[in-house]
Amino acid sequence: MRNPFLAIARTGIQTQRELFPDLPAEATGLPTVTAAPCSGCGECAAACPTQAVSISTDTQGPVVTLDRGRCLGCQLCVRACATGTITEDRSTRTATRTRSALMHSNRPQLIQSAPAPSRRFMRSLHIREVSTGDNASDLEVLASTNAIFDLARFGVHIVASPRYADALLVTGPVGRGMHDALFRCYDAMAEPRLVIAVGVSAISGGLFRDGYAEANGVPNDIPVAAYVPGDPPHPWSIIHGILLVMGHKCEPACNNDPLAGVIGVQN
Amino acid sequence: MTTTRVHHQIETTPFELSARTKALLTQPGMRYGHLTARSLDEARVAIDILLLDTAQGQPLLLTAPLEAGTCEYPALTPAIPAAHWAERMLGDFFGLHAVGHPRWKSLLLHDDRWPMALCPLAGAEQATLPRTPYRFLKVEGEGIHEIPVGPIHAGIIEPGHFRFSCLGEIVTNLEIRLGYQHRGIEKRLTEVPWHQSRFLAESASSDTAAGNALAHATAIEQLLGITPPSRAIALRTLALEIERLANHLGDMGALCGDIGYSPGAALFPPLRGAALALAQFLTGNRRQRWFIQPGGVVRDLDAARRRALLHGVTDLAKQAHEHLPLVLEHSGVLERMEGAGRLSPALARDFGIVGPAGRASGTRYDIRRHFVHAAYPALAPVPAHRETGDVLARAQIKAEEIGTSLDILTHVLETLPDSPIDILLPDRLPAHAVGIGIVEAWRGELIHWITTGEAGAITRYAIKDPSFNNWTGLAIAIRGNLVADFPLCNKSFNLSYSGNDM
Repeated sequence: MRNPFLAIARTGIQTQRELFPDLPAEATGLPTVTAAPCSGCGECAAACPTQAVSISTDTQGPVVTLDRGRCLGCQLCVRACATGTITEDRSTRTATRTRSALMHSNRPQLIQSAPAPSRRFMRSLHIREVSTGDNASDLEVLASTNAIFDLARFGVHIVASPRYADALLVTGPVGRGMHDALFRCYDAMAEPRLVIAVGVSAISGGLFRDGYAEANGVPNDIPVAAYVPGDPPHPWSIIHGILLVMGHKCEPACNNDPLAGVIGVQN
Repeated sequence: MTTTRVHHQIETTPFELSARTKALLTQPGMRYGHLTARSLDEARVAIDILLLDTAQGQPLLLTAPLEAGTCEYPALTPAIPAAHWAERMLGDFFGLHAVGHPRWKSLLLHDDRWPMALCPLAGAEQATLPRTPYRFLKVEGEGIHEIPVGPIHAGIIEPGHFRFSCLGEIVTNLEIRLGYQHRGIEKRLTEVPWHQSRFLAESASSDTAAGNALAHATAIEQLLGITPPSRAIALRTLALEIERLANHLGDMGALCGDIGYSPGAALFPPLRGAALALAQFLTGNRRQRWFIQPGGVVRDLDAARRRALLHGVTDLAKQAHEHLPLVLEHSGVLERMEGAGRLSPALARDFGIVGPAGRASGTRYDIRRHFVHAAYPALAPVPAHRETGDVLARAQIKAEEIGTSLDILTHVLETLPDSPIDILLPDRLPAHAVGIGIVEAWRGELIHWITTGEAGAITRYAIKDPSFNNWTGLAIAIRGNLVADFPLCNKSFNLSYSGNDM
């Protein structure tokens, strides 16, 4: 009988030390919009399966608007763009605290500022996950808790009941069948409570939007504190969303030192 | 020509359907595949049955049009138990009534959440019956108590409701009620332009992205009568096997977690992570989203990446072969798995249990041996096989399949053919045609069944996830077991809720 503990010892430490590393060269990230002038050809908007890209015109020429809250990350717009206006972005710091911050454009955007998050959960956050129809995102949430990404090192734990959760993490488009269950789960949580929408389905309904199943993402009656785009998002992006609602800055400077930058003060 | 074509389409009547199907199923190698319905026009509907001739590798269709104004037909379930959920689905989505169904009630559309008269897939002028209200099966007798669980469970897991009827700690009956995640996929697939339908088809169960995308692409290619280039076929095989590998490795870790065997629970998630890294290397993302498309795949594997991928597979194979015995030869693990959640071969056959769960209960059914998809049946492995049908058998099947997937990956990477990776597709699909993609996904038999109408528009798109068969297997397997063994038993099946709910 071989000794399992020897096998574990041989495996060594699996945990990634660098926080929010950019995706490797062979991976594809979410698209973003650069300053490179757009020709207005409209190929990107025509290619997009979820109408996440739109083209309009102002006095300076064509305006590209890309809504990451509807983007699947399929790269069709990146491949269709001849001018390099839409390119891929390998950053894993993709979560935002407002819906409008998911809008990328080649014009200055009016981004609603979110109120500074409470520092109450800075050191510890207990999360209840509710899945509503996107099991790939569930698997990536699960992966964020494994030894490689090690969500627990930030004081974050997934708990079994909304009664002792500080945050509700929602995946999937929340069709009619899950409306009641989600509201009852949210109502069962003590205040203050935070909601994180993980994945394009939870943010906007994604591919399922505007059907008879009314699967349009987290309903408007539930305030969302962080949005994590992607279908599914990378585990680092999910951790980014969680740390944002805890009040961490998650600036690039926090790399190399796993806790110093992360356990920092929000401006 | 490597794509399969639908050779036979038999037209019959609703009254003869059951007997005709039953007679065909006595032929050697014939299996029940799926049952659904399809609108012929605004007023008329036909019941469609898909049989799978595994000996010939050909699908066989039976169609029984209902007369206009009729919405009742004699149920098939008494003769073909495997059709019991599919017939209830006709009630929900087409407003039909299978007369004589032993447990007739709604399946996916819940009474209090969806209007009772809603029939999302029925034609505008079709006669319909409102859904029959849902009632849980009541187990009666002294000392019987019920444990309701869900829809929201304690872990990071999809929603569904389990109603256990127990005598003390022993489960006497489990009724599984799903449908919470219904998103209207089949309807939406008839509304989007066909060349964009792959995104939605792949999201039927997004943890099986490669399997769903391959079934979709196979069905579309069959409709168009085209064959993707050989390199694309090889790259698709890699994606399908990496998906199987990653999920089976994850299941091994999860089983250890439910047993409370911490070393196994610690060793396997990083191996799953390594498999997902291979996926990212091949396709650009860990979940292999948007990689397989009709006509081929979206990106090539250059020589340097091919070598690196081969190196990664070799490395992972070494670790997997070292770690699997630590679980499957551990006396504590064996003691807990052996005899738990037993599904007998006879019931597995009657209810058409597929995939690793079916092979653990005596069937030798692996789509890779029978139907053309990716590099199969040419590269089909000998199916893993057990007769015991318990948690241990399912774990052993998955462990063996980890080995065969690794072998297939190595072989394909070493013999990667040179060719383009996709071909240009025509603008439209042929009119009034049928395309059926059948894939051995990591959970088993996955079917995408596309019917086109006037001008080649998709008029019906039916998806049959392997879980749609296997949920019944789980409900049977847990009978007579301790309530506390349910998580372990559930994990050994590891079924998709969203693939079932559509």
